[in-house]
Amino acid sequence: MAGIFIFSEDSALAKQLLTPALELKKSLAQPLTTFALSEADAKELAALGADKAVVLQSANKWVEGFSEAIYSQVSKAEGSILLVGGTLRGKHVAAYVAAKLNAAMTTDAKTLRIEGGKLLATRVLYAGLAVCEEEVTLPAVATIRARTFLAPTAAATAGTVETVTVEGDSRVAVNQVTSTTTEGVNITAANKLVAVGRGFRKKEDLKLAEDLAAALKAELACTRGVAEDEHWLPIERYIGISGQTVKPDLYLAVGLSGQVQHMVGCRESKVIVAVNNDERAPIFEAADYGIVGDLYEVLPLLTAALGK
Amino acid sequence: MPKCLVCYKWTLDEQDIKIRPEDLSLDSSRAKGKISDFDRNAIEEAALLVEKNGGAVDALSYGTATVKQSLKDALSRGPEKVFWVADASAENADAYVTANVLAAAIRKLGQYDMILCGEGSSDLFNQQTAQRLAALLGLPCLSFVQKLSVEGDVVKATRKLEDCQEDVTVKGPVVISVLSEINKPRIPTMRQVLGAAKKPNEEIKIADLGLKPEALEPKAVRKSVKGFVMQRKNVIYKESSAADNVAKLKASLASEGLC
Repeated sequence: MAGIFIFSEDSALAKQLLTPALELKKSLAQPLTTFALSEADAKELAALGADKAVVLQSANKWVEGFSEAIYSQVSKAEGSILLVGGTLRGKHVAAYVAAKLNAAMTTDAKTLRIEGGKLLATRVLYAGLAVCEEEVTLPAVATIRARTFLAPTAAATAGTVETVTVEGDSRVAVNQVTSTTTEGVNITAANKLVAVGRGFRKKEDLKLAEDLAAALKAELACTRGVAEDEHWLPIERYIGISGQTVKPDLYLAVGLSGQVQHMVGCRESKVIVAVNNDERAPIFEAADYGIVGDLYEVLPLLTAALGK
Repeated sequence: MPKCLVCYKWTLDEQDIKIRPEDLSLDSSRAKGKISDFDRNAIEEAALLVEKNGGAVDALSYGTATVKQSLKDALSRGPEKVFWVADASAENADAYVTANVLAAAIRKLGQYDMILCGEGSSDLFNQQTAQRLAALLGLPCLSFVQKLSVEGDVVKATRKLEDCQEDVTVKGPVVISVLSEINKPRIPTMRQVLGAAKKPNEEIKIADLGLKPEALEPKAVRKSVKGFVMQRKNVIYKESSAADNVAKLKASLASEGLC
């Protein structure tokens, strides 16, 4: 059995996957191959330490349809580990390949190491309530979410690049793709976030949070309820187990109770601040600093104080 | 008129799970069972499709002996019949084992036009079952679906991904995983609950699935499970004067270099 493999259709995430993959390469002393969707991406990945970068070239652009091709590449090399970027497309591919390999798949691994010829990976359970370590028989597949690792710096020697032509999944017809990133804002890249919950009574009141965000030079984030039930903010701004995961320097949560499904998306923030009128809200246990009070009174004062 | 099969998991309600502070172990002694949240959306979606287009819905579940507690609840939500596999292997099953059992049961049950699953279970949230079933059964898979319709033998779906919505079509049969936003699962009426008691359920013995012993041995074994504990400063300002609280918070943020 030989070979560590990486796949992510998101080229930034593919680079981040190199970091744990290079560690696994050291432990297992096996070559590292990364898949890419363009030659430019492949060259970059090869320059960052992949021994080989394979461009998957196909007339069919539906990434999920490359699952079979990725499986056959990994299987042909008798690969021992496949790391996949933990996007939804990535999870589709990863689970398919894992099934074909008769392998387990660790979803959204936080740490990975080799011990006794097996992969030891940590991940969360029960929507973030618990953390578990699992021991996985090789070959193993794991998905890793964006920003779990930082991308490595350039390697001493660049790897090789090759191109293979692959079949897509012709059974699935993609008729239309509509972008939902309405504003082009990437809240996962923000250093500071003001997150709003349903403590706000109506959409117009979010102005209070917008003003605070402006004073802090922060971006606005929200809970699932605000985005998906109330439609007050676009879905790419909601934080949580099924939404975005963020690690800003400051996460200022206003009018949100701090349910575990939300907190799992922000609990690695450096400093968490809460403003909530309910002293018993779980957000205060998860916060470094907090104010118990009515957000309608506190926010204008805070905005004024921080704007000075 | 699609013939649908919905796969669901009977899980512990995570709201009832407590963390023991002394050793961070999980106390699930008071946790009640429930049909996993997203699987309820899958059941509802199949029920809605059949109400609209005709056809039929069956349900299938694999679990420990406790899976029997789920049958009435599942049947009250729309399916006409529920098949269940109860086996001790489910206690430590990973997504690999679960998919092996479900796929073998589906092969035994015969052909369905649509096999529906939730996006992931509310306990493990592996997000794998639909894709694995598709791989094992040789069917196409539409994952993370937020909108679904059927026209003849063509299944139309809108998938919701991080940055886009994708409209796709497949000529059945197909495996589908649904997102929670696809519908609002019904709260069964008294009539539906009473009606469920008259609907059939059928046990499928794991021994009759023709699985090799290794197909029931998990490839991922949980070595430790610990409650997640936030290590935070918990400095909470709760004076009656909001202005005082704000001043103190500003000083704290300044000390952290954040303002």
